Amino acid sequence: MATTVLHPPTTAPGYRSGLYEWVTTTDHKKIGILYLVNSFIFFFFAGLLALGVRAELAQPGIQFFAPTTYNELFTIHGSVMIFLFIIPILAGFGNYVVPLMIGAPDMAFPRINALSFWMLPLGGLMIAAGFLAGGGAAAAGWTSYTPLSEAKYMGVGEDLWILGLVLVGTSSILGAVNFLVTIFKLRAPGMTMFRIPILVWTVLVTAVLVLMATPVFTSALIMLFIDRNYGGHFFDPASGGNAILWQNVFWFYSHPAVYVMILPAMGMISEIVPVFSRKPLFGYRAFVFATAGIGALGFSVWAHHMFTTGSVYLPFFSLMTALIGVPTGVKFFNWIATMIRGQLRFSTPFLFSLGFLTMFLIGGINGAFSAAVPVDFALHDTYWVVAHLHYVLFGGSVFGVMAGVYYWFPKMTGRMLNETIGKIQFVLMFVGFNLTFFPMHMLGLAGMPRRIADYSSAAGWSELNLLASIGGFTIATSMLPFLWNIFVSLRNGEIAGDDPWEANTLEWATSSPPPPYNFDRLPPIRSERPLFDLRHAASTVGHAGAAAAPATEPGA
Amino acid sequence: MLGIATLVVVVVFLGILAARGNVVDQLGNVWGSFFPPAATSTQGSEIRGLYDIVFLLAAIIFLLVEGLIVFAVVRYRRKPTDTELPPQIHGNNLLEVIWTLVPTLLVLFLFFVSWRTLNDVDRVDAAAPVQVRAVAARFQWSFEYLSPDGKQIQFKQFEPKMFVPVGQKVHLRLQSADVIHAFYVPQFLFKRDVVPGKENSFDFTADQAGTFRGQCAELCGEGHFAMQFTVEAVPPDQFQSWLQQQIDNAAKQSQQPAASAPASGQPPASGQPPASAAPSGQAGATTLALTAKGIAYEQQSLEAQAQAPFTIAFDNQDDGIPHNVDIHDQGGNSVFKGQIFPGVATQNYAVPALPAGTYQFVCDVHPNMTGTLTVK
Repeated sequence: MATTVLHPPTTAPGYRSGLYEWVTTTDHKKIGILYLVNSFIFFFFAGLLALGVRAELAQPGIQFFAPTTYNELFTIHGSVMIFLFIIPILAGFGNYVVPLMIGAPDMAFPRINALSFWMLPLGGLMIAAGFLAGGGAAAAGWTSYTPLSEAKYMGVGEDLWILGLVLVGTSSILGAVNFLVTIFKLRAPGMTMFRIPILVWTVLVTAVLVLMATPVFTSALIMLFIDRNYGGHFFDPASGGNAILWQNVFWFYSHPAVYVMILPAMGMISEIVPVFSRKPLFGYRAFVFATAGIGALGFSVWAHHMFTTGSVYLPFFSLMTALIGVPTGVKFFNWIATMIRGQLRFSTPFLFSLGFLTMFLIGGINGAFSAAVPVDFALHDTYWVVAHLHYVLFGGSVFGVMAGVYYWFPKMTGRMLNETIGKIQFVLMFVGFNLTFFPMHMLGLAGMPRRIADYSSAAGWSELNLLASIGGFTIATSMLPFLWNIFVSLRNGEIAGDDPWEANTLEWATSSPPPPYNFDRLPPIRSERPLFDLRHAASTVGHAGAAAAPATEPGA
Repeated sequence: MLGIATLVVVVVFLGILAARGNVVDQLGNVWGSFFPPAATSTQGSEIRGLYDIVFLLAAIIFLLVEGLIVFAVVRYRRKPTDTELPPQIHGNNLLEVIWTLVPTLLVLFLFFVSWRTLNDVDRVDAAAPVQVRAVAARFQWSFEYLSPDGKQIQFKQFEPKMFVPVGQKVHLRLQSADVIHAFYVPQFLFKRDVVPGKENSFDFTADQAGTFRGQCAELCGEGHFAMQFTVEAVPPDQFQSWLQQQIDNAAKQSQQPAASAPASGQPPASGQPPASAAPSGQAGATTLALTAKGIAYEQQSLEAQAQAPFTIAFDNQDDGIPHNVDIHDQGGNSVFKGQIFPGVATQNYAVPALPAGTYQFVCDVHPNMTGTLTVK
């Protein structure tokens, strides 16, 4: 069997303390783990804020938080969940897995990689520091619509929010450049573009989206900062500015950002579903084109967040929004076709993937309601939208992230996570999630606007809100077995071995955890499933040895 | 596992229903909660028609895809006998084309039906018989009734109640004094943003009499949740006489300025009940202090003597935000209504003698500001 032997660069010898090593590391795997840990810390922080929101809304009346504080809670909850949890944790998985998957020794620019990571905790702490500032944290929502976010209405917390996001955005841009160069230049011999794993494709498209959209958002943030601090009037209609301009530039970034938050999760699901179905991904090329299609269409739908402003051309954005459902549908059918006629193994990563499929489906379908503009007139800015976005970002992305954690934890640590605890966590999370967010559809239809600190007991929203709050605390409970699982498995978990899942992609060809230079030797890469080819080389009828790999391109 | 999770959800759900009474009725209610409330405007009814189409499509797709997932999960679990690899299928171009084209046609259909409805509900007739401008400011609504050409303000209603005639088209303009708000009436199935520096407008026709709750739907600050209003649809003749009365009142008030105008310079609230109070220094026997701060009364309960007039020293500490005190008896009738005025300011309300009993006082601008007045 032919193998490609790599010559790892010699690393500086000598002893370093563990902490020093982690703080100064430029190893993509350590940086990836730093991303994950950092993101989970912010996840728990923002989750606590959400519990505050649910506690306040559990019954009518103001019980725990003054309205000002309440507005700070949901603002920082949304901002931190999006900018410091979902986006970075997916970047973290990309960091850890992408170089391994394409057979590279590291990212293209290891030091820039470290820089982009270290901007994140700094930016996050600045946003969170708003709670200590005079006037409190930013309270204009994660969307920070002008003029509410201008200096007249918001205090220093808003400036901290802006500066924190500029740092986080810069981190994203640097990370995107790094991913692009890595994927284009560092692929192992034989790893053609149509053999890279789907996760790598989704990271690639995500990087393009980040690179095109984030600078626009960063400019908008700086314009807002100038408005607030240096007498600018970009968004101030009283002085010739335009309040809607902010919404255009904000959503020009933040809608593509939704795909930044979901595409890599789709990529992870596309790795996990075939492995646990024991089949190749159905329609590899269709998947690639669908991903690229979502990326391209993603830039033409931003104004569907602004249907009620009276300032957008409705039919165009309605049409584009409806069309973007098509490539997503293609992916769904491909995932299902992958499972059909397979041999499904219900390990925890696959359970979370099924959670992703069933919940993200609802998040996709209830989005179609808002694509029909007149229906959006009824549903916009109500709890329906809160339900929709959580079905996409929690039911989709977070379930995908959990699937990824359970799937790659053995590779990262060399030990398996406990399956029983994992299943307990899954059930709690799945039930809690639906209990929290499904009733919000009904609340939205019944006319409950989002972002309100209180509602009348006569409005008829009390029971559904109580149900949602019970669900919220159930989700919080599901985090306890998760943390416990990580704690016990790191010490006593079953030893994983190189390839515990019978997986397909290159990261499972090296040891668990991999050495700093990743690979001692690479198997031949003749398809998008080099490890499958290796494992079944002898048993494939009609082929032998290195010729076992299919001669034609997969999916052709 | 997924099956167990789903089962738990269903069992918990049915358990809750069973604990609350007749399960069949309850299930009917649950089914109803998948739909918006019954529309009370002609435009709202059209939107409801569209919603039903979208819901039907969505339900079919949901059942189909979710059914396929469940089928795959149940049918293709790995068995101990599965030692051989399953067939390694890499794809099928015909299937890919089918499941690209069929959804494309579906979403195009969805787009065209929604476009058609959009053209109906979004049509604006600047010459509509009733011309109103809703003015949104942090954190209250007021309504200006305009002359038929829409150019002059006939009078301004400070109380957040909008009167409209049933069956006549209302052309509503939206104006913001500060940040972005949104005019939202759930039973019209409609909202439109109120954007500073830009006048949005839309038309609606209430098709039945009634009182419909409305609320600001775009975050506008700490009092956002309290920014509520009602739309009261009344028969056209009733509307006309009400309108004429308000116009006459406004004319009278403009003829006698200064004397009764409050310090703030705002005209008094319209639609006053009989026992309207003139702000004055005539103190009753006792003075009760009441403070409004952060869109709430700081004193939740007050006590007064029966059959004796008294004074409420009302301190409005919310900068730029109007409040007042309106005292309701147990039947919900207003027995005293204080002048609405913006903070920061203080007014003494001279309240007439009241019979013993429990009363509720509310702010007319912010209906969720309430407290209890005990008279004994």
